[in-house]
Amino acid sequence: MTIYEYIESIKEQPACLGGVLRFEGTNDQVQVLDGANKRITLAADARCKLLVVHRTAQNVSMEVELGERAVLTMAVLYPENGVGAEGKVQVVQQEASRLQMTALQLASSTLQVEVDLVARDAESVVNALFAIGAEEQSRLSIRTNHRSSDCRSSSVVRGLAGGKAVGAFDGMVYVAPDAQRTDAFQQNRNMLLSETARIDTKPQLEIYADDVKCSHGATVGQMDNEAIYYMRQRGLDEQQARRLQLTGFADDLVMRCGCEQLCELLMEELNHKLDRI
Amino acid sequence: MLKVTNLHATVDGKEILRGINLEVKAGEVHAIMGPNGSGKSTFASVLAGNEKFTVTEGSVEFLGEDLLDLSIEDRARKGLFLGFQYPVEIPGVTMANFMKLAVNEQRKYRGEEPLTAAEYLKLMREKAKVVELDTKMTSRAVNEGFSGGEKKKNEIFQMAMLDPKLAILDETDSGLDIDALRVVATGVTKLHTAENATVVITHYQRLLDYIVPDYVHVLYKGRIIYSGDRSLALKLEKEGYDWLINDLKE
Repeated sequence: MTIYEYIESIKEQPACLGGVLRFEGTNDQVQVLDGANKRITLAADARCKLLVVHRTAQNVSMEVELGERAVLTMAVLYPENGVGAEGKVQVVQQEASRLQMTALQLASSTLQVEVDLVARDAESVVNALFAIGAEEQSRLSIRTNHRSSDCRSSSVVRGLAGGKAVGAFDGMVYVAPDAQRTDAFQQNRNMLLSETARIDTKPQLEIYADDVKCSHGATVGQMDNEAIYYMRQRGLDEQQARRLQLTGFADDLVMRCGCEQLCELLMEELNHKLDRI
Repeated sequence: MLKVTNLHATVDGKEILRGINLEVKAGEVHAIMGPNGSGKSTFASVLAGNEKFTVTEGSVEFLGEDLLDLSIEDRARKGLFLGFQYPVEIPGVTMANFMKLAVNEQRKYRGEEPLTAAEYLKLMREKAKVVELDTKMTSRAVNEGFSGGEKKKNEIFQMAMLDPKLAILDETDSGLDIDALRVVATGVTKLHTAENATVVITHYQRLLDYIVPDYVHVLYKGRIIYSGDRSLALKLEKEGYDWLINDLKE
C-alpha cells in the first residue's frame, strides 16, 4: 500500500482544531498529518504513532511536547514528488518519555529537528535519511539538547546523493553543565553516487558536563566497486548490484522506525526513489 | 570445458600473465601452485572478468563459447564460479537475500522459473549442510563481521547454492585453521561430480590432501612452467620451487 492509499483508507482523521492536537492513552493506528503548523501534546503515559507528510512547498513548524513516560513514534516524510518544503520540528521531552523519529527526505527539502531532553531518563532516537538525485538539494539539521541528567539520545543519519544533487547535514549534541551521565550517540554516513554530487557534513558535540558518554562520527564514501564485482560474479547484473548496495545502505535505518506499518509505508516510498536515483 | 590458449594480461600497463595454456575437462580437478606474485590470482580474476585487468593476447573458450566476450555476470550465469581469496563485505544486505537474487538470476538466464520462498529455504538448508554452516548466518549481512573461516565457508556455501560448471577457488585455504580447512575442503569434494570441474589455486599441499587433484600446475612469472600429477605437489612441499626455477634458467 502506498502512503496515499493509506491516507485514503483512514476513515477518522485526528481532530485538529486550530492546529492543536492532544493525545491521551494508547493510540495504535498510524495517524497521518499534513505538513501544516501544529502543536502536538502527548499527555503523561500516552502513546501514539504519527506520520507527517510534506507534500507542498510551504514553511512548516511543529511543536511537540511529550509528557512523562509518553512514547511517540513518528515519521516525517518529504515524498519524491514534493517540492522544496521546509520543516521544523521541535520536541520537548519530559521525564522518562521516549521519542522515536524517522525522517525521510526524498526530494529537495530542508528539515530542522531540535530535541530538548528536559527531565531525567528521557530518551530520544532520531534517525534520518536523505536520498536525492538530479539537481535536488536537501538540508538536514538535528540538534539534541541534553538539559537534564541521565538522558539518552541517538541519532543515525545517512545521506545518498546522485546526479548533481547537494546534501548537507548539520548535527549538534549539546550537553548542559548539570546533565551528568548523559549517553549520546551521533553517526552520519554518506554515499556519493556520481562525481558531480556533493554532501557536506558537520557533526558537532558541545559538552559542558564531565560525566558523560558521547560519541560521534561522519564518513563520506562512494559505491564499493569491489562489492559490485563480487555480486556480478554471482550472477547479478551491474544495475541490480548497485541497487542492492543502495538497499543495504538505506534499508535498515527505515526498518528500525519502530512500527511495522510505518516501516512498510516508508519502504515503499524509499524503494521507489532508489529505483530512480 | 575450459581451454585457455596463450593468455596474456596486464594491469596498469604491466604484464602479469605471459602466455598461459591450460585445458580443463569435465570431471577434473586441477591445482595451480606457484610462488607469490607469479600471477595465480590474476589468472583467476581474468577468467572471472575482473575489469582491473586487460587481456592483450590469447583466447579462452568456456563450454564452447568465447569467454572473454562475456560480461562478468554472464560468465557467472554460464556456470563459472570464483571463490574469492578476500570475500567482499556488503553491509546491510543479508546473505539470504543476496543468494536468492543470485540463484534466481541464474535460473532466469537458463530459462527456468524463479524458486518459490519455500523451495529456496529448502535449498538453503540443504546446501548449508555441505559446509556445516549455521543457517542463522544467512540472516547476517554478507561477510560482514565474519571470521576468516566463516568467510571461506560462506564462499563454498555460495558455490553449493549456485552449482557451477567450473569453480575456481582462489586460495580458499588461506587464513583457515585446520578444522575449518577440513570442512571447506570436504565441502568442495562433496560438490565435485563427473559433470563439473574445479580449479584450486593454493600455496600449500595441505589442501590437496583433501581435494585430490588430477593435475598440478606450477605458475611462474605469468606462465605455467611445469605440470604433473599429485606427486608434484608433494615434491614442491618438500623441495620448494627452486629446482624448477633453476631448471628454467639453464
